[in-house]
Amino acid sequence: MSDSSQIVKRPQRWDVPFWSELENPEPLTPGVVDRWLELPIFRGMEASRFPLNNSPRDILANDGRLRRFKAGDIIVRQGDYGHSAFIVLSGSAQVILDNLGDLVRGREDSSRKGWLGALAQLWRNPKLPEVRNLGDRRPERPEEHTDFIDKDAAGIFVQDINVIIKGKRTVDLPAGELFGEIAALSRTARTSTVIAGSDSEMLEIRWQGLRDIRLHAPEFKEYVDRLYRDHSLLSHLRETAMFRHLDDATLKRVAAATEFLTFGNFEWYATYSKMRETSGAERIQKEPVIAQEGHYPNGVYLVRSGFARLSETYNNGERTVSYLGRGQIYGFAEVAMNWKDKTELPFQRTLRAVGYADVLFVPTSVLEAEVLPRLPTAELPRKRLAAAGLGGVRDMKIRPEMMEFMVERRFINGTATMIIDMDRCTRCDDCVRACASTHNNNPRFLRHGPIADGFMIANACMHCQDPVCMIGCPTGAIHRDSAHGLVVINDRTCIGCATCANSCPYDNIQMVTARSPDGRPFYDRATNQPIQKAAKCDLCSNQITGPACANACPHDALVRMDMRDVDHLGSWLNRQ
Amino acid sequence: MNFTTRRRLGCFLFAATAGLAWVLDFSLRVRLRRVELLTGLTLMVVILLLTLFNARKKLPFLPLLRASTWMQIHIYVGLFSCVLFGLHTGWRIPRGAFEFALALLFYLVSASGVVGLAISRWLPSRLTVQGENVIFERIPALRAAVRREVEEMVVESVAKSQSSTIADFYEARLRNYFSRQRFLVYHLVGYGKPRHELLSEAQSLDRYLNADERGILGRIVEKIQAKDDLDLQAARQGLLKGWLFVHIPLTYSMILMALVHGILGWKLS
Repeated sequence: MSDSSQIVKRPQRWDVPFWSELENPEPLTPGVVDRWLELPIFRGMEASRFPLNNSPRDILANDGRLRRFKAGDIIVRQGDYGHSAFIVLSGSAQVILDNLGDLVRGREDSSRKGWLGALAQLWRNPKLPEVRNLGDRRPERPEEHTDFIDKDAAGIFVQDINVIIKGKRTVDLPAGELFGEIAALSRTARTSTVIAGSDSEMLEIRWQGLRDIRLHAPEFKEYVDRLYRDHSLLSHLRETAMFRHLDDATLKRVAAATEFLTFGNFEWYATYSKMRETSGAERIQKEPVIAQEGHYPNGVYLVRSGFARLSETYNNGERTVSYLGRGQIYGFAEVAMNWKDKTELPFQRTLRAVGYADVLFVPTSVLEAEVLPRLPTAELPRKRLAAAGLGGVRDMKIRPEMMEFMVERRFINGTATMIIDMDRCTRCDDCVRACASTHNNNPRFLRHGPIADGFMIANACMHCQDPVCMIGCPTGAIHRDSAHGLVVINDRTCIGCATCANSCPYDNIQMVTARSPDGRPFYDRATNQPIQKAAKCDLCSNQITGPACANACPHDALVRMDMRDVDHLGSWLNRQ
Repeated sequence: MNFTTRRRLGCFLFAATAGLAWVLDFSLRVRLRRVELLTGLTLMVVILLLTLFNARKKLPFLPLLRASTWMQIHIYVGLFSCVLFGLHTGWRIPRGAFEFALALLFYLVSASGVVGLAISRWLPSRLTVQGENVIFERIPALRAAVRREVEEMVVESVAKSQSSTIADFYEARLRNYFSRQRFLVYHLVGYGKPRHELLSEAQSLDRYLNADERGILGRIVEKIQAKDDLDLQAARQGLLKGWLFVHIPLTYSMILMALVHGILGWKLS
């Protein structure tokens, strides 16, 4: 610590206000924040319910920003991963209910290195670990700190947007309305594209602010939750194949009869470690039952978020036969067969929430009246097929012990889970070296982890469907990359609080000590403690090669697997 | 493409290319053409292509095909280089000292490659099922930790029983065992007799001990097994990594000698 240049100020929650991340930042004045607090949506909030150091004014000043849009500007795009919600201050917004496909997608990925930039890593990578250039200056002038700029907030301009949306179903949102809360609160992709209906001003609130206000203002929480349920229900039904033949009026009738159910605990990661200590039979019994094998099929269940385990009775226990994630349906074959063939087939499997699951329940009576008669015959299950589709363990592509392992350890959460075939892995560590070469000589995963059936699930970030690591981050440093949905960390805004590392159920985030180029650790001026940063796999999002680990394996032993694709997973596990 | 199809395709391409090379060589020879220069140059190019695999490993940030694709190319082109070498030498062992040394290097590089490929396919599954999977670089630290724990147990046994039976056994049979890697060759060939003997010896002490000591001995026996598992992992992972330290330096030596051989051949022809 002899060199004072290594003593810096530890980054804080309030260091990087949301407005300062804009390319052309417009500092917020107290008057602007006061006007926001007068909005009907915030009016009922009692400041006395908030902690002194986290008042509604502080939250909005730090986590809110003013955005101006011209008529036709795209505010959010379907499929992008967002971390903020919007309130219309003036003008209007237009929600496009239909899918615009790739017409408005294709944002250029400017962060990816070119060939020369990639090659330069050969000599530019520091020799020492975790080297950074940390300065004390916070982004009072963000144009000098391009790392802070929120590139996603740069306006999205699409030519002839009016032509593109012609004939599409839209909903107008006047001043005072809130939108974008589904992606912000559920860590999922935007469900619709929203454009400015006229020249508009919006208050954009990042999700940390929404979270804090919801925590202390019950009226606001109730309002946002109701909106979240209403919006997500309709958008989910619209995305589901069996409802695509329905017109708007019928879909609304179905939506009105649909129940929004939640099973398990949203913050399931808190009990994950304890759960791992129990036996398999105990674990499955503790999981909340959504629907029971042998019961009358009173409706179908659509998984909206989270995960569910499909199991069947096997001797004195339950055998896991598959798992369901977002967008998958349970019970349709039984309900449809009973309606078509006038039979009384009960549920063939038990459905349980793994951790937590948000499900939509559509009653059988509604399906029989509104949905099944409109479905083409080809989409109804045939008798023999229904039995096969409901399956038996014979049809499973994944061996039962592997299936149990993945579901119980909740590796099914991963969209880029690192699986290593230990019967092919020669422990050469080419994967680790490749990872280090593409990350300033710092490997971002450990070739270590639990093994089942000869396959290791290594300690590498899985880029989860439900990234619980993001929940507690006070600054939003850990976030989803808007274009690809990868979970990445903004090193500049990470304050080293380790909340994400502690929340990750899979121990895939490491806390590392930042060092100066000469190898000495940085220390916080106030506490004299080393400056820590969270570090993890970013799936080589800035490399032209894609994941270097998988490309570097000479023995085809390593793969980054999207666990939602059970068929691909089964094929890979059974390669010969 | 699954592994079986890939293997069949690789074998087919190798056989076809090798057959073509043989036919070409034969047809040129019957026309009394000198083919040594042609086969020699081709062999040199092929060997340089094979060494590019190692260069590819150093450049993981460039999109230069997957390493597994390079590996397949390396295997089959390596086999093809053996055929070319045979055609170049006329399937005879060279007589001159320099040529013989060069040929010997080629044989050693090829043999080390084949052995390396064989152990890369044979050992991993055996590593997976025997002992805990540990990272190679951590093994010395884990081994030291095991030794510390056993020494604490030995001290505990003396303190609890005022008897030196376990301590004596430790001095006579275990100190050396826990101090470093043991039974390397046995672990490499998968022969478990030394482990079995040591465990039997330790367990035979049981009849001379009281209840406290028996408990401690039981824990020591577990540590003997844990240490043996670490040694097994170290031996086999060491072999999986170590064969490249033979294959690669020999390759570079061979390339240097081959260049000299080429220059000499060209000057003298």
